[in-house]
Amino acid sequence: MVSKMTAPPTAPGLDAELIAESRTRPETFAVLFDRYSAMLYRYVSRRLGPEVAEDLVGETFMVAFARRDRYDLGRPDARPWLFGIVTKLIARHHRSEAARYRALSRLPMSPDTEPVADRVAAGVSAAASKARLAAALAGLGKGDRDVLLLLAWGDLSYEEVAEAAGIPVGTVKSRLNRARRKVRAALGDIDPTRDEE
Amino acid sequence: MDDLKMLRDLGRDLEHEPADLLARQRDRLLAMSMAGSGPDHSGRRARLPRTTRAGRSAGGGLPVRRRRWAWAAAAAAVAAVTVAIAVVPAMLVRGSVPAARVVAGPSWDRPAKQGTSTNVLLVASDRPSPQSGLGVRADAIMLLHLAADPRRTMVITIPRRSVVRIPSCPAATGGTAPRLDMINRTLDIGGLECVWKTVESLTGLHVDHAVEVGYSGFAAIVDAMGGVSVKLPAAIDDPKAKLRLPAGTSVLDGAQALGYVRSRAAGDGSDLARTRRQAALLLELLRKATAESVLDDPARLARLLEAVSRSITTDRELDVATMTSMAQALGSAGPDIRFVDVPWEPYVNDRNLPQWKQPEADRLFATLAKD
Repeated sequence: MVSKMTAPPTAPGLDAELIAESRTRPETFAVLFDRYSAMLYRYVSRRLGPEVAEDLVGETFMVAFARRDRYDLGRPDARPWLFGIVTKLIARHHRSEAARYRALSRLPMSPDTEPVADRVAAGVSAAASKARLAAALAGLGKGDRDVLLLLAWGDLSYEEVAEAAGIPVGTVKSRLNRARRKVRAALGDIDPTRDEE
Repeated sequence: MDDLKMLRDLGRDLEHEPADLLARQRDRLLAMSMAGSGPDHSGRRARLPRTTRAGRSAGGGLPVRRRRWAWAAAAAAVAAVTVAIAVVPAMLVRGSVPAARVVAGPSWDRPAKQGTSTNVLLVASDRPSPQSGLGVRADAIMLLHLAADPRRTMVITIPRRSVVRIPSCPAATGGTAPRLDMINRTLDIGGLECVWKTVESLTGLHVDHAVEVGYSGFAAIVDAMGGVSVKLPAAIDDPKAKLRLPAGTSVLDGAQALGYVRSRAAGDGSDLARTRRQAALLLELLRKATAESVLDDPARLARLLEAVSRSITTDRELDVATMTSMAQALGSAGPDIRFVDVPWEPYVNDRNLPQWKQPEADRLFATLAKD
């Protein structure tokens, strides 16, 4: 299965140009919706499940629309901006998000298809490590989790995560380091040499 | 094993595809964009430069009475309604979260529609809480007259305690007998539809739509906006409204703001003073709703949208297109929108209450009907 989250814009025109045009022709904003709503839906469905994803994506675009006059047109790609909005809306659900990860940590995730030899080599089955991973996500601080998941699930770069979260790149890196250390510890990999990459 | 790779694998396991391309959410956005107004945009329109129209009387010499306080009263309700109109279209098309309440359309014999303008009944209601079942009163009743020529767009304010003939209204108990009473009782008698029927029967005007904005949602709106600041010339101590405020500037939460607009202990305790306070507070809310602080906080903005949707009742036919034209008409009329009192005089049996003055009132509505 290939993730479609990184699918590039298909319609011509930079996001910034669309947003600029939407200031005088508001209906243009729908093009931005067509471009990114599915991407945001998939992202939210990962973090909160499909039940709330639809409404949350709708709210994200309503908020974005109401704030389109304040969009920095010097930024051609609107994804960090949209991810920033959706991140703040997700924050309202952070308790249920953590509960979701905790529930996942107690369930077998998917049929284990790896050959026995690989599992033995890894020392732990894929399902078990996913359960541990989910438990680790549940235990992360909100800010750390946002940064880690914007990077790993939102496919944003460090700079884009910084823009989305409204924090300096240095803070992104330090939060990411902390989050990944905890995740690795949960996975049983405590090799300290891998901390500083 | 690379932790990021494992995390991405986990993400793919959890991922869902959106159903039918999120069509409902797309409609919701389109409705909002057609209204041309995120709250910030409606705010900007409200600050259109003044034209020379102030004080000019209506074409054909309508009996226009412009008094400063009347303007303030109406401005308050219009400010609230403008905020509502800016966001209601979006709320109406979203199905899942508590949408605006809807009432059935008119079932009575109605005045024929003569002109091309649209008349919308606006009611600000005083509903202690939706569950309390206590008497509901209309705190402000007005007609928004949207003419093809925006220069003839106006708001007709109906004195809420004016003594009028109330027709029989359908009610939960099976229907009420016609009676003479204060017009603000109509909401309690038979809900928004009873106000609607009464206003049509009194004015002979075809009223196309009806909107009720409840104070019950008012506190939620204020809280969603993070409070509202007021400047008081003197301290208030009103145990009845559970309100104690020092002189000077205070930031009120939702409950305090509600107490503040309803208190009769502040100022001279008159209806007039109370109306002015409501106007000032609602204008401050409108200003704040359009300010960056709210719009820059998505969670807060989403709460605001929801709180507004909870405090609105409309008729079923009031669709996005109509709301859009309402918002546009109010926007293009700008700060110079004209407010007209229904002509009144003291009621013969109780000089403290108003009654409509004839033939001036009939003449006003006859002119509006043909517009």
